[in-house]
Amino acid sequence: MSEEFSRRHFMRCASALGLVGQAGLPFALQLAAMNGAAAQTTSDYKALVCIFLFGGNDANNMVLATDTDTWDRYWLARNTGTNPISLMPVGTAATPVGSVNAVTGRVVTSRADPAAWGGVLPIVPRTANPIPAGTNATARTFALHPMLAPLRPIFSANRLAVMANVGTLVTPTTKAQYNARSVPLPKNLYSHNDQQSIWQAGSIEGAQRGWGGLMADAMYSMNGQNSVFTAVSAAGNAVFMAGQNVVQYQISTGALPSIRVNGAVASSLFGSTAAPARLRSMIRDISSPSLFASDHAGVVTRSMDFADALNAAYGMPAATSVPAPPVFTNPISGGTEANPLASQLQAVAKMIASNMVLGMRRQVFFVSLGGWDSHDFQNTAQPNLLAKVAHGMSYFDGVLGNLNGVNMRNTVTTFTASDFSRTFSTNGDGTDHAWGAHHFVMGGALNGGDVYGQFPTLGNDRTGFNNPNMAGNALIPTMSVDQYAATMGRWFGVSDANLSGIFPNLRNFTPNTVAFV
Amino acid sequence: MQLRVADPNAGLGPNQFYEAFWQNAVTGSDQLRQRMRFALSQIFVISLVDPNIDIRGAASYYDMLGANALGNYRTLLEQVTLHPMMGVYLTHLANQKEDTAGTRSPDENYAREVMQLMSIGLFMLNPDGTKQLDTSGQPIPTYTQDDISGLARVFTGLSWYAPTPTNNTFFGGNRNADATIRPMIFYNNYHSTSQKRFLGTTIPASATVDIAGDLRIALDTIFNHPNVGPFMAQRLIQQFVTSNPSLAYVRCVATVFNNNGSGVRGDLAAVIRAVLTDSEARNIGVVSSASFGKLREPVIRLANWMRAFGATSQSGNWLMGSTSANTSLSQAPLTSPSVFNFWRPGYVPPSTQLGAQNLQAPEFQVVDEVTVADYLNTMQNAVNAGVGSGNDIRSAYTAEIAIANDPVALVDRVNKLLVYGQLSAISQQRINEAVTGVAIPATGTQAQIDAARLNRAKLAVFLAMASPEYLALR
Repeated sequence: MSEEFSRRHFMRCASALGLVGQAGLPFALQLAAMNGAAAQTTSDYKALVCIFLFGGNDANNMVLATDTDTWDRYWLARNTGTNPISLMPVGTAATPVGSVNAVTGRVVTSRADPAAWGGVLPIVPRTANPIPAGTNATARTFALHPMLAPLRPIFSANRLAVMANVGTLVTPTTKAQYNARSVPLPKNLYSHNDQQSIWQAGSIEGAQRGWGGLMADAMYSMNGQNSVFTAVSAAGNAVFMAGQNVVQYQISTGALPSIRVNGAVASSLFGSTAAPARLRSMIRDISSPSLFASDHAGVVTRSMDFADALNAAYGMPAATSVPAPPVFTNPISGGTEANPLASQLQAVAKMIASNMVLGMRRQVFFVSLGGWDSHDFQNTAQPNLLAKVAHGMSYFDGVLGNLNGVNMRNTVTTFTASDFSRTFSTNGDGTDHAWGAHHFVMGGALNGGDVYGQFPTLGNDRTGFNNPNMAGNALIPTMSVDQYAATMGRWFGVSDANLSGIFPNLRNFTPNTVAFV
Repeated sequence: MQLRVADPNAGLGPNQFYEAFWQNAVTGSDQLRQRMRFALSQIFVISLVDPNIDIRGAASYYDMLGANALGNYRTLLEQVTLHPMMGVYLTHLANQKEDTAGTRSPDENYAREVMQLMSIGLFMLNPDGTKQLDTSGQPIPTYTQDDISGLARVFTGLSWYAPTPTNNTFFGGNRNADATIRPMIFYNNYHSTSQKRFLGTTIPASATVDIAGDLRIALDTIFNHPNVGPFMAQRLIQQFVTSNPSLAYVRCVATVFNNNGSGVRGDLAAVIRAVLTDSEARNIGVVSSASFGKLREPVIRLANWMRAFGATSQSGNWLMGSTSANTSLSQAPLTSPSVFNFWRPGYVPPSTQLGAQNLQAPEFQVVDEVTVADYLNTMQNAVNAGVGSGNDIRSAYTAEIAIANDPVALVDRVNKLLVYGQLSAISQQRINEAVTGVAIPATGTQAQIDAARLNRAKLAVFLAMASPEYLALR
């Protein structure tokens, strides 16, 4: 990510992946030849799926420590303001709207009140998480947000793990070092776009290569002729997916993954049989002296070259057997609404199913869900978003468990990422930008059912309490994004040498990976 | 806008905003103001995506941008700050001072984003827009978290207009019918009186509440920060002319921002004049360089088509809906996915020739294998049948049909109207061949002849809008 991307690299990439000028025909023929063939080998297929939560998820309300000492500090920080964002303790029954909640003594006036959701949901890790400095807890116990109920059985089945206090870091950083600025810190902490970029690509906005794309670089040669589908996004452009050789390929979440340019593939356009060929030449013309026009034509070319073949793959039984996500109900409004995350995961599942035909062996996927910037109305927005995450992830886990008759769970590792977590204390009805966050990793290959990393001491500094894990209102990460990512990279098959290149700061962390997989 | 005077109790949805937007965009006689406020709406962002945004309020916000589009930046900044829809969108409406227990802090959202996205940005800038560097070669941050916490205290105690303000109206109760279109008012009970430090300015702790005074100091401090000139110069040049302006171009525009020649700072009319009349925007030698120019925005492309070919609304109401979906234009006015706009000014597209030269191309952030195809399909439909509900907005192509027997004249016309005469020889040839492919029947009925001419007109228009010279504005 620190290397300069050169024109030469681009051209090499272009020829390797058929980005420029290659007709789609050989690919289509190959696909046709494989149609119906018993190519459904699942051996040595692996996929990484990044779920990016744009806006900065308040992870303080996603995974909670429930020992008394921690809970009291949580309650002090969050059970205040016009619309308190403190979740109810374990075992609290949901309070109907119009009734008094026994914990708070307040009348529940709407579904956008944590008392209406019931208590947080306990999870029991397989191993005890160490007790960090600064807390009086004698043992650490944990729970999930009430809207994450669908994830509990996956955790219990050891296919889901919690990563504690992950964030952008250059080097291990203590509170004293942070306050003294005595170690290098990530640039532009608390800034949305820059922290998204550091999470995805190791440097602030303007970065051009992300770790998903660079891992794909290391593996794409395994994908043979179809390597154009090595890095696939269902959520628009993400620097995460950009490698040195690998270029992101965008798919639609509609009925078909690729959109055809109607006028260019028709036999006649506005009554002119000469027009479609002229339109094709024009929109694929990369010879324009303007780089903007030429690069645009490059994208059009890539789109057109692979559209028919990819759409054909989706027409085969492996892909058509992928069920649609179940209906999603907004837990606050009670109405049904679309869950774009689930739709994107359905498109990814179809891609994975298609690969049984396409013969792909390594793929990186990008999906996302926005709306997490809960400066206010957090009790309306976040539970709905977390419910969408749980709905989408449990749907995806179920689909992978039986993908056209094959259990693909061991071959797909899905993980969450987000700009940052949010302030531990409330601003009245929401939270502001912060830093370290808890995250989920899901997959059959995991040593799941556990909490990895040091779950931090929580609570704002007060007289007599100096939290070693928090600077102001933010958690100082104790697991770097690089450690988190490199662990998945090693599972994916990326060599240690390549990981060192992809993550230049990885050498600052010992151990440089986490034992979750 | 019409919405502003509409019945406040009428049921309004986003479509009513879009309808008003397109009517103004196409028929407005003040095109520079229309373009300028559309550009400003991508810097001072609020979005209809937020379910808490009121449509009439959003229309009033867009009116406010228009009223200030060629006015002064300082006035614009104040009216943005006090507009209740910005208060809703960046959540400083009903923002309370810190509590005495030390557990609750003011909401920091607006304090952060007004600095990062609307005025000074993250790093100290030179007048030419380059980053200032410290002695170890590192860029110098403009502010720290402490500045944000300090500034956040200024933006407390603002909430809904009410003729008789109460605690209840502060929190949104007993809402006045005009609350979403009138500036937020001051609720002294909720305003922080503790010390406020930001950007080298300190407002001392005070026993009395002075919201107006605190706001004046804060907005003056931001307005007078040396970054604002180069920051706004870069943003507006990118919106109107080129994604990668030269340092001299930025410096020229920033200089005008700092002083319009009559000692006035922040004169936006003078600034946009400087943007559009700079030699870099008009010199054919510069304009023809490979890295000059920008990708046209999808909304501007559709507006270009409507204006160039005299599109009219069949109903008179310009019945447009959202064009946000990636099956449409991936952009709709005042409908960006977040306060970070549809695309970032600093976006460098990976895996491209632009990226290889580390060139910015903001609009490329929504260019991918799906959106490029959907743009072409959307325009093919628009050119053929029209756009909007029931294809309400259509062109009759009267002038194009009149010259359709002459392909050279037809190509020449779309070239002038859409591409400023910049269509390449090969693009002209391709359009000419496609158009010529529609035979005008020598012995057909008038209806057959008319149909053929209409097809020629549509082909010429559609292909011009698909041409590389059109997509890349130069």
